[in-house]
Amino acid sequence: MAGTIIGQGITIEGELTSDEEVVVAGTIRGKLSADGPVTIEAGAVVEADVSAASLAVGGTVTGNVSAAERVDLLGGARLIGDVKAARLTIADGASFKGNVDMDV
Amino acid sequence: MSQVSTIGPGTTVRGSIRGEGDLEIHGRVEGSVVVTGEVLITESALLKSDVRARRITIRGAVAGDVSADESIVLEAGARVLGDLGAPQIGIRPGGLVRGNVSTGGPLAETKSAPAAAASASRARPAATPAARPAPARAATPAPAARPVAARPAALPAPAARPAPVARTAPAAREPAPSATRGDTTPSAAVVAARAPVEEPELDESEEIDDAEPIDGGPPPPVVPALRKGAKASLRRKGAR
Repeated sequence: MAGTIIGQGITIEGELTSDEEVVVAGTIRGKLSADGPVTIEAGAVVEADVSAASLAVGGTVTGNVSAAERVDLLGGARLIGDVKAARLTIADGASFKGNVDMDV
Repeated sequence: MSQVSTIGPGTTVRGSIRGEGDLEIHGRVEGSVVVTGEVLITESALLKSDVRARRITIRGAVAGDVSADESIVLEAGARVLGDLGAPQIGIRPGGLVRGNVSTGGPLAETKSAPAAAASASRARPAATPAARPAPARAATPAPAARPVAARPAALPAPAARPAPVARTAPAAREPAPSATRGDTTPSAAVVAARAPVEEPELDESEEIDDAEPIDGGPPPPVVPALRKGAKASLRRKGAR
């Protein structure tokens, strides 16, 4: 079981809470919090505050993001919002607007 | 859809899930599920929501209406609290349902969305009298109801007693009360008018009569009425 997968074409409006891995290829509006790794795939749209153990973004995220371990913005990612994480990588081709708090 | 959408066992969704494609639910959903493809609700799933899809297979717990365009299958372990609607419905041994089952087709659209609200509202009304709405609304109505009850005890009682006085008094004097009521009323009014004067005398003698209920002592029932009525009448007079 790959934990939770929100497939392409699926829209969740509301709050998603999980203690396992979450993969988003669809749309989420509201709030997303997970104790496991979260992957937002290319083509996905997340209009929500996201908190996770670790976060990989390949799609579009609008909202504040926090991760216990790390946040990776992959190529083609688009993030509008603040990031709070111990580690942050921004790949070539990723767009990002917001503040970064690396808990220095 | 390369991947089947899945709500994992450790995942809770509060809100609506909708869209195109198939869906597996192993976790919890509170809200609504509307999907164009197939929905599989597994043993570990717990849904407090209506479910609408093309085909639905249930092995877990659902509290809400379930409606499919093609078929619904309840397998062993399924627990559904709500209505089922689909052209084809299968319930395997071990599947539980509490609700209406109709194989005529999917539940009406209005029933899933508006009716969800409606059913919720219906459920609430049922609950409200007992629990929720009742307190809020009942707070006012209840007082209203109680005051009414209280007033009847206080005010109506006097009203009721005075009336008895007039009626019973005539009844006592006239053998056929029911038939004579119409005739007696005038006399009753007269009696009522005179009654106050007679009351004190009646009280003593009639108390004794109380022991002898029906005999020639029509007064016995009258007596208590007169007493109470007398007091009441005094109040009334005072009030009036």
